[in-house]
Amino acid sequence: MNAPVTTVLDASVVHDQVSAVAQEVFAAMVDGDAGLLLPWEGELPVLAEPVVAWVDLHGDWAGRLALRTGAPTANALARALLGLPDEAEVSHADLVDACGEVANVVGGNFKSLLPGPGTLGLPQVGDVLPQTPGALRLQELPLAWRGQLLAVEVWSFGAQDAPRAAVATHDGPAIPDQHGGGDHA
Amino acid sequence: MRALVIDDSRTMRRIVAGTLDKLGFETAEAEHGQAALDLLEGGLDVDLACIDWNMPVMDGLTFVTSVRANPAWRDITLMMVTTESEQSQIVRALAAGAHEYLIKPFTPDAIRDKLDLLGLAVEGQPA
Repeated sequence: MNAPVTTVLDASVVHDQVSAVAQEVFAAMVDGDAGLLLPWEGELPVLAEPVVAWVDLHGDWAGRLALRTGAPTANALARALLGLPDEAEVSHADLVDACGEVANVVGGNFKSLLPGPGTLGLPQVGDVLPQTPGALRLQELPLAWRGQLLAVEVWSFGAQDAPRAAVATHDGPAIPDQHGGGDHA
Repeated sequence: MRALVIDDSRTMRRIVAGTLDKLGFETAEAEHGQAALDLLEGGLDVDLACIDWNMPVMDGLTFVTSVRANPAWRDITLMMVTTESEQSQIVRALAAGAHEYLIKPFTPDAIRDKLDLLGLAVEGQPA
């Protein structure tokens, strides 16, 4: 019987890959050539009214890619994607759809960097990530979009990533989480 | 020229349709493959379909296969517009009958370039 195929991700590589993918997506889809997604500098604010959009990845490596930001930034992101003026009202449906699609595209491009075949789930949006038993936050990348915090998180559903995830947790910044913290996935 | 934009994300449908509108296309939209098939079976006549891969109800690959199985729709140009960028997925889509493959994220210029390759550029529209 063949052993199950597993893929182990190196947290430092994941950091660079996720950063590059996110910046490429925002430059192409949201901001044009002049990408406005930059590394976050300084203290991390507590997110009021968090909005989380995520997509699950299945295959040799199983996990989740999530975007976490505040509601005002999520609204601004939806307006930018939809080409609406700054003062325009964004419906809840458009907010969910736009944030979900950004997570979908970032997640899909992250999946393309993984070795081995895999599939992408449909994007979902909420104010907190659902719990997944055994999930580990492998990477947490705080970025600034138009000066506001937008964090990209990579979660592993496989125990094979545990030692490296621990390294990432110690080295990486911690984003305040109002909804139960790191045991959510 | 007429185009059908098939994507479960209304945001992405608006982005793709908006780009096609600027290139001179008349556009219709469907939120999944089955809804798109329903439109075609109802008599919608299009030159181009832009198709997402991952959608509920009917995915893009099934839609492509269904269109290619119907001789009445053989003149429709099929372009996948999707985040699925694995080589094996691209090969599957092309083998099923897709003519071109555009990976998200894309720029308006990338869509225009693909349409040029497909011979679907609309005369008199900005290049």
